[in-house]
Amino acid sequence: MASTSKDNVQAGPSVQSNPSDDLEPGACPESILNPTDSFDEFASEMSCSLQERNKSLAAKSSTISEIQSEIGDSEKDGSEMKSTKSSDDLQSKNGNMSASASSSNLIEENGDDEDNEKDDYLQSPELVNKEKHVFVLSSAGKPIYSRYGNEDKLAGLCGVIQALVSVIEDQNQDILRSISTKDCKTVFLVKGPLILVAVSKSNESETQLVLQLTYAFNQIVSVLTLTQLNRIFEQRRNYDLRRLLSGAERLIDNLFVFMEKDPAFLLGAVRCLPLPEKARENITNAITTTCHKIRDLVFAILIAGNQLITLVRMKKYTLHPSDIHLLFNLVRSSESFKTAESWTPICLPKFDATGFLHGHVSYISEDCQACLLLLTVQRDAFFPLSQAKHTIAEKLRRSNCLVAINDALNRNEELPTTNPLKHIGIPEIRHFMYKCKSTAQLFTSDPISLDRLQDYRIKHKEGGDITVKKIEKLSDIDYVRNYRRFCSQIHCTSIPAKLIFRSNPHDTILAWVTNGFELYVTFDPLMDKDQAIKAVDRLLRWIKREEQRIFIMNAPTF
Amino acid sequence: MSIISKDLEQMGTDDSMSDDVFEDDTLRAAPTQRNTRSPTGYPDYRPPAETPAKSYADEDMPIHKTILLGDSGVGKTSLLVQFETGKFQQGNFSATVGIGFTNKVVTVDGIKVKLQIWDTAGQERFRSVTHAYYRDAHALLLLYDVTNKTSFDNIRAWLGEIREYAQDDVVIMLLGNKSDSGLERAVRREEGQRLAREYQVSFMETSAKTGLNVEAAFAHVARSLVAKANPVDPSRLAVRAHHTQEQRSSCPPCS
Repeated sequence: MASTSKDNVQAGPSVQSNPSDDLEPGACPESILNPTDSFDEFASEMSCSLQERNKSLAAKSSTISEIQSEIGDSEKDGSEMKSTKSSDDLQSKNGNMSASASSSNLIEENGDDEDNEKDDYLQSPELVNKEKHVFVLSSAGKPIYSRYGNEDKLAGLCGVIQALVSVIEDQNQDILRSISTKDCKTVFLVKGPLILVAVSKSNESETQLVLQLTYAFNQIVSVLTLTQLNRIFEQRRNYDLRRLLSGAERLIDNLFVFMEKDPAFLLGAVRCLPLPEKARENITNAITTTCHKIRDLVFAILIAGNQLITLVRMKKYTLHPSDIHLLFNLVRSSESFKTAESWTPICLPKFDATGFLHGHVSYISEDCQACLLLLTVQRDAFFPLSQAKHTIAEKLRRSNCLVAINDALNRNEELPTTNPLKHIGIPEIRHFMYKCKSTAQLFTSDPISLDRLQDYRIKHKEGGDITVKKIEKLSDIDYVRNYRRFCSQIHCTSIPAKLIFRSNPHDTILAWVTNGFELYVTFDPLMDKDQAIKAVDRLLRWIKREEQRIFIMNAPTF
Repeated sequence: MSIISKDLEQMGTDDSMSDDVFEDDTLRAAPTQRNTRSPTGYPDYRPPAETPAKSYADEDMPIHKTILLGDSGVGKTSLLVQFETGKFQQGNFSATVGIGFTNKVVTVDGIKVKLQIWDTAGQERFRSVTHAYYRDAHALLLLYDVTNKTSFDNIRAWLGEIREYAQDDVVIMLLGNKSDSGLERAVRREEGQRLAREYQVSFMETSAKTGLNVEAAFAHVARSLVAKANPVDPSRLAVRAHHTQEQRSSCPPCS
């Protein structure tokens, strides 16, 4: 049990300097993504005490002002601007906790008349029989978001949640983390001025639920910045945050559907659009040659169908997968980006939760649904970036890259990555997913999930009700659901498993984690271990052979 | 394929979130009817509209910055899409994120006018972003929704913001959108006219759905901008403005 997932955290992107043959498939010397696992953050989240938690949110300095000052410095030896966080947050937190008296009144009110209208509402079809509820409220107990139903009518429920949380904080000097009943888990996360709660009947573990709530919190921060969020509630504890979040509810709605279906969230990794090495190189070059003179540009990101095509970055800075997931979610959820070139503030919480980057967002062209995001620290850079975008689009068209992107998106039959299982030729393998840990990138065998994700908003209209499953061919999403339990065993913080082999009448599943990768494979039911090991060997060799196509193997900068 | 047809069947089910992005059958069904092949093999390819939306040519033409303003959901983006493409996407509401940018050349009285149109998000959280663009604006189209009294009541606040942030001589036009709504109407045309008179701005009722007065509104703005730039014949403006207001569209086709 010596090797826990914790041991693998590298401080920086420098991994190993071995010749490339020894590296696991997909690994490369430098990564565009920050490979820190969210699971480690989770571990620290869960182990921290009340006071530590209150401190943690205020500690970081601002990356954006660092970049701004660097750019400023080289122009004129200006003063060193480094935003130093005062300890105001700490003090205000202590002030926050004096509200429990009023909330306990709330409970009594509810207890007095059990059959009042509000309780009826909790029994309404909008709310009962859902697989997973999510509630967000302010620490004063004011409803902010409910995944289902109308949060206005849930004021009573939010009062109860607030009371539970604050009673445990005040009286026991402890943190309420979860409540488990026979078939239902309730998970609480208090972050800054917000309380987030998930009530789930799914097979997701407590860890996975907390990660999802953290994502939801980050989504809110991405819209407002942590600075603004904290300031609002410092000034007015009773503020109705829905005013500022209006229009962003659908981002949270879509995020939860996305998290339940895409393995990228489960593994904290980013999926790349498989492309011929040459094509990806041309795309990256088109971006770097066009943008290298634009000095305030921090990231240029090209994405399509929730997959990363390329990411060019300012030296020294990398992006965390969860920030990229939020960008995927934003692009998928915003039809309006298709109608016009857009300019919008975006906060990337892992990059810098205290401030906004400014993003030029546009689709490359009418006939290629790849979306280009140019993120800068300059608030009035729209026109130079718009110019750059048109130049990039023109270059991509001339070098036939648009065709390559469309081929990959349409899953042209001739590409080996379109139907990898057929191409690998191991009929016993039904499904697999592979994560390269050092680069935080992911590849799965069945890209069908993408089609399904395309329609996830429509799926969402089914209402998330728990229904009796019809037995049909499993889809990618079902496989991913099956993997959840294995993932949580492998990422378990107390006794992590390194290799799991499980057979039952339906299938055989192998989950394997090493220093370099995580691999989950579903085989036919009657698979013995020797066969499985041989198949996995062949699978890894195939991934190694195709790594240039399915992963981004370099870390370009401007 | 069966997945898709199943999804189509389930589409009828109601959606509880009012601010959700939703699409309906007409939209989903549309791509199958398109037969035009994309030059790069994209399946849902739509051949570009006859007038290219973004023309970076004719640099000599003066650019007039025009901003669409108003509460969330009054139809700013729909109005612009109708103006640009002549289409209306039924039941497809998606809140604008930040600011959207479009170039459009309008011809009024034989003069070409280049409008650089900024479509803003109506939500409060984007106010600080949009304020930054008021100062440079030459024209503002301020929209309310005739079926939504609140959006009309907020017009005074919007005009207050405009006074504060925009230039004094900015061309302002008040538009009551969704004029096709019939019984759902909550703001009478006279109320809009009265408010416009009070603030001395021009006024029209428009429908992004039927296209009513959409071109006329942009043409009116363009004409006002031209008149402002060449103050030779001030009488022409007043007459024309009144004329176009009541009729469908008297200006030559813009595209």
